[in-house]
Amino acid sequence: MQARGEARLAWLLIAPALGSVVVIALFPLAWAIRESFHLHDLRAPWLGQPWIGLANYAEAAADARLWLALAHTVGFAAVSVALELALGLLLALALHRAIAARGPVRTLALIPWALPTVVAALLWRFLFDGPTDWLADPLRAWIPIVLADVWKTTPFVMLLLLAGLQTIDESLYEAARIDGASDWQQFCHVTLPLLRPALLVALIFRTLDALRVFDLIYALTGGGPGTATEPISLYAFNVLLQNLRFGYGSAIAVIVFLVTFGLALLYVRTVGAGLLEEES
Amino acid sequence: MAVAKLAVAVALVCLILGCGSGRDDEIVVSFPGSALGAEGELLAQQLERFMAEHPGIRVERRATPDASDQRHQLYVQWLNAGVGDPDILQLDVIWTAEFAAAGWILSLDRFDPDTADLLPGPLAASRYRGRLYALPWFVDVGLLYWRTDLLEGPPSSFADLGGVVAQAAGRAGLPYAFVWQGARYEGLVTVFLEFLGGHGGRILDERGAVRVDSEAAVRALSLMKQSIEDGWAPKAVLGWQEEQVRFAFQNGKAVLMRNWPYAYPLMERGADSKVAGRFAVAPMPATSSGEPTAALGGSLLAINARSEHPEAAWAVIDYLTRPAQMLDRAVQVGQYPPRRSLYQEGSGLQGRLAIPLAAIGQVIERARARPVTPIYSELSGLLQIRLHEALTGQRDPAEALSLAAREMRELLARKDLGPEPEVMDDAG
Amino acid sequence: MIPRMVAILGLLFLAAPIYLAALASVTPESRLFEGPVLFPSALSLEHYRDLFTARAFWQPIRNSLIVASVTTGLCVTLGAFCAYAIARLHFRGKRLVLGTILAVTMFPQISIVSPLYLLLRQLGLINTYPGLVLPYLTFAMPLTVWLLVGYFRQLPAELEDAARLDGAGPIRTLGEVVLPLAAPGLAATAILTFIYCWNEFLFALAFTLGPERRTVPVAIALFRGQYQVPWGEILAASIVATAPVAILILLFQRRIVQGMTAGAIKG
Repeated sequence: MQARGEARLAWLLIAPALGSVVVIALFPLAWAIRESFHLHDLRAPWLGQPWIGLANYAEAAADARLWLALAHTVGFAAVSVALELALGLLLALALHRAIAARGPVRTLALIPWALPTVVAALLWRFLFDGPTDWLADPLRAWIPIVLADVWKTTPFVMLLLLAGLQTIDESLYEAARIDGASDWQQFCHVTLPLLRPALLVALIFRTLDALRVFDLIYALTGGGPGTATEPISLYAFNVLLQNLRFGYGSAIAVIVFLVTFGLALLYVRTVGAGLLEEES
Repeated sequence: MAVAKLAVAVALVCLILGCGSGRDDEIVVSFPGSALGAEGELLAQQLERFMAEHPGIRVERRATPDASDQRHQLYVQWLNAGVGDPDILQLDVIWTAEFAAAGWILSLDRFDPDTADLLPGPLAASRYRGRLYALPWFVDVGLLYWRTDLLEGPPSSFADLGGVVAQAAGRAGLPYAFVWQGARYEGLVTVFLEFLGGHGGRILDERGAVRVDSEAAVRALSLMKQSIEDGWAPKAVLGWQEEQVRFAFQNGKAVLMRNWPYAYPLMERGADSKVAGRFAVAPMPATSSGEPTAALGGSLLAINARSEHPEAAWAVIDYLTRPAQMLDRAVQVGQYPPRRSLYQEGSGLQGRLAIPLAAIGQVIERARARPVTPIYSELSGLLQIRLHEALTGQRDPAEALSLAAREMRELLARKDLGPEPEVMDDAG
Repeated sequence: MIPRMVAILGLLFLAAPIYLAALASVTPESRLFEGPVLFPSALSLEHYRDLFTARAFWQPIRNSLIVASVTTGLCVTLGAFCAYAIARLHFRGKRLVLGTILAVTMFPQISIVSPLYLLLRQLGLINTYPGLVLPYLTFAMPLTVWLLVGYFRQLPAELEDAARLDGAGPIRTLGEVVLPLAAPGLAATAILTFIYCWNEFLFALAFTLGPERRTVPVAIALFRGQYQVPWGEILAASIVATAPVAILILLFQRRIVQGMTAGAIKG
């Protein structure tokens, strides 16, 4: 009796949160999936909106610009996340030992993270647009993009790892030192293993965010020059809102979802299993 | 808990506030347009005068971004939402077919507008499938800017570019002979259109068939590529849009520039300009098999198909496109009118424009619109990619154009927009 | 020695762009087209003036403040209810619920922006405050719930047990015992939610039609002219956009870090 009452109360409490998720997130996703099986070109209404099965996906498979966008996205994610983790770790280690002033340092460090992404993008565009012509070069345009992303998100990684570092018991280092371990060995055998949870969380969050990159590139290069810096989210956006092809655009959007969600599931399965455990 | 209650209360208030407020009896027509600078001020004045003449109509301004792509994106969002607001739309010349095909703008034929005075280029860009969907508001054309202190006269033939102009650059110690917009964007298509027309080619012919792989086109593209290879256009143009090109010319680094009229007053009166008083404009050069071609740009005014007040919206458009208003715009903002009568003697524009009337009148008269088709942006995208590939040396021009032509034909066929069938002489 | 150098260099890297932007925002436009200036020369407040007169920048600021505040209030409230249920009450399907809510964080926004747009249009919520609050609520909820679940679980159960023994039902326990104890966690999630709403771009771009409802990031992104980019104004607007967030951070940086790291550290 008490259990049923409790369960009912529980559902009442979670209903608003769950409800908004279902209506605002799940329902539109289902709609996008449905659209992806239809032809829906707003500029050619005489073609109607017929069911065309997997034709949009077949077109996607043969679409060079889509594969290029995917390659851009994955490449960008790999490079950015690697840099952010490395730099974040480096800075966390340095700050852990070196600087005492906590408040002002953390404030300063957090500002890039807390800025709107488009503002950060515009800032970096400003820094590069005048003095260099890199933004017009298909390869070099990536440099301000990666720099802007690293600048913006390293603070998050750094603070995460710093907090992790602070939970490591000093006595472990003592013990290692007594055993004759060098700094490097201490790092490898004490620091890294104990930082693993924090590193993995940082890796997961940053990778998922990097794969979904949109704001940053929209405001920094617009995907240019041409389509040289176009990530998959921006390509979907262009197909939807520039070419007005809602069927095909939905198919691309679903592909993006599958890639991101698939990766997330993979991470959760292998790495983050503990995150969903119930209380013992 | 108190915070939560406050938040809910605020939310309710916003819900109520956000649901719109009541209006009085007059008709309200919304008009999106630039809110900034000289253009913003002029528009405000003109709308004031309009409202004085039409007491029952109030025109509300909506600030929209000036950048063409962003405005397109916003329009798509609004129109796809089936929203009747804004009532009037400011279209880029290349959007008419797209918006008309999607059923987003009203045909203006019902108002029986007088189009006799309008120039053929802008008028062609305002029609789709024989019906008029917009009225031209102001035009932009591609012009050749040339240094009067370094050349005797503007080059009228492409052949002169390599010879005369390059020599002039060398003599004066300037790094570049000719700068133009070569980045992979819509501007590249307008530049290509001008080279193409100068060689006698077209992108689509009258029946709507793709002609981008013609001999003339290959020669035009090869010339553009040659200009970079021979060094009289810097390789950097391949990443330049309007502003970078303007800066190069304005800082005295080039003998010739291809740009739009907006650059003229900036370089003539701007404090940073190093070429003030030492340049003039002319039509783009051509060859014997073609004619000097200027790509047509500019804006048109159309009515939202879901507008609740089409007649009032028409009244506004009709007013703004009258000669008097267009004249004011030309003088105050430097945006040129699409009316033939204003380019003739005694129209009132004489001597009041930044660019001499004689020079620009002819160019605008013959300005060529880009292909009028609902999927123009996609076609242009395909063409841009191949053009840029040829210019960067990744592909041979003939190959690039034949690929572009094939892709464009396939796209048109997929959308049932292929060329009208030829009439067979021996019909049987 | 080396750690100190590295730390300083790192902080310089983080601070330099902001310094350059702030400097550029008070430099006249004509000096800006070559790029950022390194040292103050001719100072001018023209950009800030233009921002609030010609551009009416107070409108996006007002919109952002309203949307962010309302969303934060609702999100923390509803999220707290949900998190409490998950953390302390017994019911079946708990993992599924939590998994579903968390799964939303992995949705690429682009995947649902178009149908969500159509849905909001059906509800008449395009270009309204609720039209932004609802999507923001949905996407801020997972982080809130996750952090609060972790936080609630950490709280000692004795106080709640004591309350229950005293005859208090779960709601009263939540309101009178748990929430006050959880105030730091609630504050952390509130701030993180506020920052998320303040910075969100794609939905704001897609679901607002004009300056009367546009938020700060969208307004700034749409500053571009036909050919020219008004850097002075953009950077001035950026500084203005950053100020509220910077103040929040200065006041609450410890809470923010706690919130950010809570989930990660306990693993």
